[in-house]
Amino acid sequence: MPAVAGVLGGCRVESSATGTFAPKTLTPAQNDLVATLGELIIPETDTPGARAARVNEFIDRMLTDWYAADDREQFLAGLATVDPKAQEVAGKPFMDLSADEQNQVLSAMEEEAAAWRTALQEGNGDPANPPFFNLIKQMTLFGYYTSEVGAAQELRVMPMGRYDGAVPYAEIGRAWS
Amino acid sequence: MVKKNVLVAQSLEAYDAIVVGSGISGGYAAKELCEKGLKTLVLERGRPLAHGADYITEHKNPWEFTYRGLGDRKRFEEDYYVQRRTYAFGEHTEHFFHKDTDSPYIEVKPFTWIRGGRVGGRSLLWGRQCYRWSEMDFNANAADGIEIDWPIRYADIAPWYDYVEPFVGISGQAEGVENCPDGRFLPPMPLNHVEQVVKEGIEKTFPERTMTIGRVAVLTQPHNGRAPCHYCGICHRGCTPGAYFSSLSATLPAAEATGNLTLRANSVVHSVIYDEAQGRATGVRVVDAETKEMIEFKGKVVFLCASAIATAHIMLNSTSNRFPNGLANDSGALGHYLMDHHFQTGASGEMPGYEDRYYVGNRPNGIYIPRFRNVSAATKRSDYLRGFGYQGSADRASWGRPVDGFGADLKHALRDPGPWTMRLHAFGESLPRYENFVELDAEQVDQYGIPLLRISCDWGENERAMRRDMGESAAEMLEAAGAKNVTIFNGFNPGGYGAEPGLGIHEMGTARMGRDPATSVLNAHNQCHSLPNVFVTDGACMTSSACQNPSITYMALTARAADYAVEELKKMNI
Repeated sequence: MPAVAGVLGGCRVESSATGTFAPKTLTPAQNDLVATLGELIIPETDTPGARAARVNEFIDRMLTDWYAADDREQFLAGLATVDPKAQEVAGKPFMDLSADEQNQVLSAMEEEAAAWRTALQEGNGDPANPPFFNLIKQMTLFGYYTSEVGAAQELRVMPMGRYDGAVPYAEIGRAWS
Repeated sequence: MVKKNVLVAQSLEAYDAIVVGSGISGGYAAKELCEKGLKTLVLERGRPLAHGADYITEHKNPWEFTYRGLGDRKRFEEDYYVQRRTYAFGEHTEHFFHKDTDSPYIEVKPFTWIRGGRVGGRSLLWGRQCYRWSEMDFNANAADGIEIDWPIRYADIAPWYDYVEPFVGISGQAEGVENCPDGRFLPPMPLNHVEQVVKEGIEKTFPERTMTIGRVAVLTQPHNGRAPCHYCGICHRGCTPGAYFSSLSATLPAAEATGNLTLRANSVVHSVIYDEAQGRATGVRVVDAETKEMIEFKGKVVFLCASAIATAHIMLNSTSNRFPNGLANDSGALGHYLMDHHFQTGASGEMPGYEDRYYVGNRPNGIYIPRFRNVSAATKRSDYLRGFGYQGSADRASWGRPVDGFGADLKHALRDPGPWTMRLHAFGESLPRYENFVELDAEQVDQYGIPLLRISCDWGENERAMRRDMGESAAEMLEAAGAKNVTIFNGFNPGGYGAEPGLGIHEMGTARMGRDPATSVLNAHNQCHSLPNVFVTDGACMTSSACQNPSITYMALTARAADYAVEELKKMNI
């Protein structure tokens, strides 16, 4: 590795030395919600999940630096629909629900996403306004599988040194990240 | 190592040769001219770049990038609004590219001009595919009655392919396809399991077609002091072992080893100096990119290798009483007949039944299907001239593929790779047309005082008709090979972006070779008809475009022209 990591413009420290994280765009409550949703989408199993991979920190960075204002507003507006949906499905704010109830809320959100996709295929959906489930799932998967946890612990980093185009999958047993 | 930005006193030192540009063509010109004993000055407008030390993203993992490889979108949109259109640009490679705000151009019609921003130019970033042209290609304009004839034939360039290939190091498989001649290859990379299946399916159904592993300037064994590929697969970030050919890994070090090379970065060539009294070029004017100072460099012979559009730009800006319309532009052809390969069409399909197979290593190469249309009476098309080849590959998608659901089930499903998908991407020949051209803007200048370039280029009827077949033939072959859910893709959006000219990054034709000085800029030796000590050996020289990736042809033509130029110098003819 060249000893120049961080030379690229804008490179910042992931988090403070104490491991705490201060979101720049998300409020502390929104940050907790994003981290919780992420962990529901990619939970800890025999490998760490989205929370351990700090996907919420990645999402906050993207919202702060990368997203256009319209897209940022769209994400935050979508995030604001999670509590009303939780009230509708389970009668409480999302963070006050049990894990099972939270999963039920997420299932309801996914059904809306499926309906939106069907509508698109039938030519009467709005491609510019995807349901929030799509946004949070896409960002969570991207943030997780490009993290060291997701790319190297959950999946496998492609090794260097040789090419073999006909290896039995059983010898590898895991997708390359 | 290559000297970095050696400061040269104004007008004091006279060189034997001046080479403008340090990319594929300029690097080769530098090597050849230096090895033949000429004190050679290479001028590169980009910033210095040290092989190895400046490959700052080589082997970095995704989580080590601030935006995980997506790049700083806002800055890219401001500073790299053209460069960001190419697949090769991103957080991994931005430091190798020209900054669009540094010297803009005017898109009269959508045209993407991808430019290098460092020593080595686009040789750092190229796709590395190397296919010889054939007799059919050099004869094409004459056979079709299109524009002007090439002044050379395959027999003229074949020895020069033979000469450059062993230096470059090209891995590939000889196939005996007449219109895609075999070269001097290193051992080929292997096809993967599903590509082998597809090859057999295509060749069984279409016996006159061939699918082979790509012929690629990536080493499969140690070669000329460079190490073989270690299959990290991300060549365009730079390769410290030099497994892929670039000016930095190969030609500039060879030139440097002679002691005859002076390389000057940050040197924006303004124009070629024409001496009316002597009737010859005497050097070039440079604007230093850092100081904005104008400096003149003297040389006995000038090789313009700045890339097709940049070379035309320099020549158009080199006016004199003798050449009021641009250097050596008696014909009016300079700047015109701009071509590129049109692509962003083809097909993809799933190949079920091989889920027990996978691959190890990122092979920086794919497959190639040489042209099979209009190569014989039996393959003659009534709807278009010329033809296309395919590149592509088979792979298994990872976590990026669409999978429904969330939670542990989703995570578990994404542990395994997705189905095998085979893709065929067509690359088509475009015809030379006068109305595709570049010219100087009458009013606006860049920060170096050089008039902005206006680019006006569009695909014609022949390319548009060919594209239909490019997609349909790909689908037909995939289905013959057993693919399911075959989908044709076509990025072309008339008048807009998606498959606009320039995006192929094979632009050529703006100072074409020909037999007649009345209709061409260069003769059969890449020498200006009306200015014998100026040579053009980049893509500008091309009289037609063929459909093969052109870099190896530029290298062969450059070596051939350098040999001729040195002989002429010795004979005191130039």
